Amino acid sequence: MAGDLTYTPIEGKTRGFRIMVAILGFMVAVLIASFLVMYLSGQQVWGISNAVPWGQLITFDIYFIGLSAGAIVVSGLSYVLRREEYKPIGRVAVLLGLIIFTGAMVCVLVDLGRPEKFWRLFMYGYLNNMTSMFALNSIWYGGYLLLMVVYLWLAIENKTRLAMIIGTIDVLWAVGVHSFTGAIFGLIGTREIMFSPIKPFEFIAAALTSGTALLTVVVAAAFKFTNRSLDKKVITSLGRLLSFIIIVLFVMVFFDKLTHIYFPHREGAIFLFTGPYWWLFWIFQIGMGIVIPLIILFHPRAGKTVRGVIIACISVVIGVLGERAALVIPGTAQVQQLYPGHIEGMWGAAGVFPITLWETTLTLGIVCLVALLFVLGLRFLPLLPATEAVKVPAASEGGEEALPEEKSVTEAEG
Amino acid sequence: MARWGMVIDLDKCVGCQACTIACKEENNIPHGSPQEQSRRREIYWNRVLAITEEGEYPTQRVQVLSMPCMQCDQAPCVTVCPAKATYRREDGIIMQDFRRCIGCRYCIVACPYGVRNFNFKDQLQEEYHRPDLPPDRASRGPWPFPQRVRGVVEKCTFNFHRIDQALREGKKVGVDVVPACVEACPTKARAFGDLDDPESEVSRLLATRGNFRLRENLGTEPKVYYLQG
Repeated sequence: MAGDLTYTPIEGKTRGFRIMVAILGFMVAVLIASFLVMYLSGQQVWGISNAVPWGQLITFDIYFIGLSAGAIVVSGLSYVLRREEYKPIGRVAVLLGLIIFTGAMVCVLVDLGRPEKFWRLFMYGYLNNMTSMFALNSIWYGGYLLLMVVYLWLAIENKTRLAMIIGTIDVLWAVGVHSFTGAIFGLIGTREIMFSPIKPFEFIAAALTSGTALLTVVVAAAFKFTNRSLDKKVITSLGRLLSFIIIVLFVMVFFDKLTHIYFPHREGAIFLFTGPYWWLFWIFQIGMGIVIPLIILFHPRAGKTVRGVIIACISVVIGVLGERAALVIPGTAQVQQLYPGHIEGMWGAAGVFPITLWETTLTLGIVCLVALLFVLGLRFLPLLPATEAVKVPAASEGGEEALPEEKSVTEAEG
Repeated sequence: MARWGMVIDLDKCVGCQACTIACKEENNIPHGSPQEQSRRREIYWNRVLAITEEGEYPTQRVQVLSMPCMQCDQAPCVTVCPAKATYRREDGIIMQDFRRCIGCRYCIVACPYGVRNFNFKDQLQEEYHRPDLPPDRASRGPWPFPQRVRGVVEKCTFNFHRIDQALREGKKVGVDVVPACVEACPTKARAFGDLDDPESEVSRLLATRGNFRLRENLGTEPKVYYLQG
């Protein structure tokens, strides 16, 4: 790619673009309505209970944080390592990281029972308890948001030297953010499925896989539907990168579960493998997150085509969401062994987590909010390379008709 | 400073749930609907479990286990609470302040005993057994908050309001004044007192029989002891 790349916003004048923005805007209204329903009648309208206290919102929260951290680390290929071939996607990666992280913060905010008291998390040491991972994460998350805003601004202003410095800090900070997010779960000694010193590292690996995969899909879609050309090698090299990180993730997951099945407390691992939530683990986390993408990416032909890499990436994006759910929901649904023997009645039954209307609309609304902010970011900020879209405006018009499809893809992933 | 603890004699406990009901009355805990109970949303500060130790009906051995909050000395909920809503008092009671709680439910995840409850809705006025409360918040500290609001977590407090009042009035805690669950127990399976005082009822009971605490291997140092049945 040329060194003096120029960027432009997308035009956004077509009917398809307007329809997409309207649909996403409607879903944001649904998000506000679902939040009000929850806020007025309490969390009884959700699927959570005292047995499974964390549900869809926390699943999407850690999923979004992972996607964001992964996207920021990949942006480092362009801004920190100065790899010229990744330059066209550098700015999009930073925007994606920032917007998705905003979505994660919305998730965790509306998940609180008393969201209006969230400021207590930011009273460092005075009104909050700094031994809590949540309180520590308020430092990590707040700093991360700030760093990403500065990073995006520097990238848009083409201040490459400063962008490299801030980018380096941000990439390292992203790794910290996600390892501390993993520590929220990994340090809970009483929940066998969650408890693991390897969890922060597993979270980093999962963040890199899902972030790289989502970025690949989003970039490929954005370039295709706005009739911009992207070197095929960018996608296939991201695919190669992805295949190696998936192997790292597999090693982490393998040894995490092996420790739990080995000795002496196996109940947690057995509950995860064979309990009511087995499909979250086997079909999503292992099947779609690890096995299917590895088969595609290492396939001698499919792994070298753009289509093959994109399918593998979509599989990873869905699989890692399943991985988060397989941690949050079975992690608390498992009955704690209070006393040797079998607890009778409802106290001894595994926790049930039904999918409920208002929780689902809230979650989908947040996914659409993220998509809307992302599309508006592309619309108003110069993020995509300008080259051909400027040359052939007619083609760009036609191309943008198809944009809703792109978004429906990202929504389905979310 | 005293270190309040409870001793539950498994030999005497018959599993009548009197402690659960007395607790609900004393602490103004709303009774939930059957749907809420089956969804695990009803609030219990004290609960009674039936645990099949071995065998199948009709030849089985069942242990009845009455469980208040264990008031751990090394309480995981205090460690993970980001808002200082759960804290340890000088006398070892783990408190929950509704006004500070942000409702993140991290403590429910971290509690090894599952004794913490979340308020999934605003409680209806008619659900309260004691609508007269609270008389005097200034003299009773954070309890009892007039009504629980939705979105906060609550738990057993060893009836700290009774303890505080008894100490103010110079009565002897563990003899004259005990928590409601201890008072209500028809078989006198529960005893309450100062674990640091060798003369107290609880210390005497612990010296007489073999005893254990739940999930001792986690190192949470619970202050509820069980005498072996």
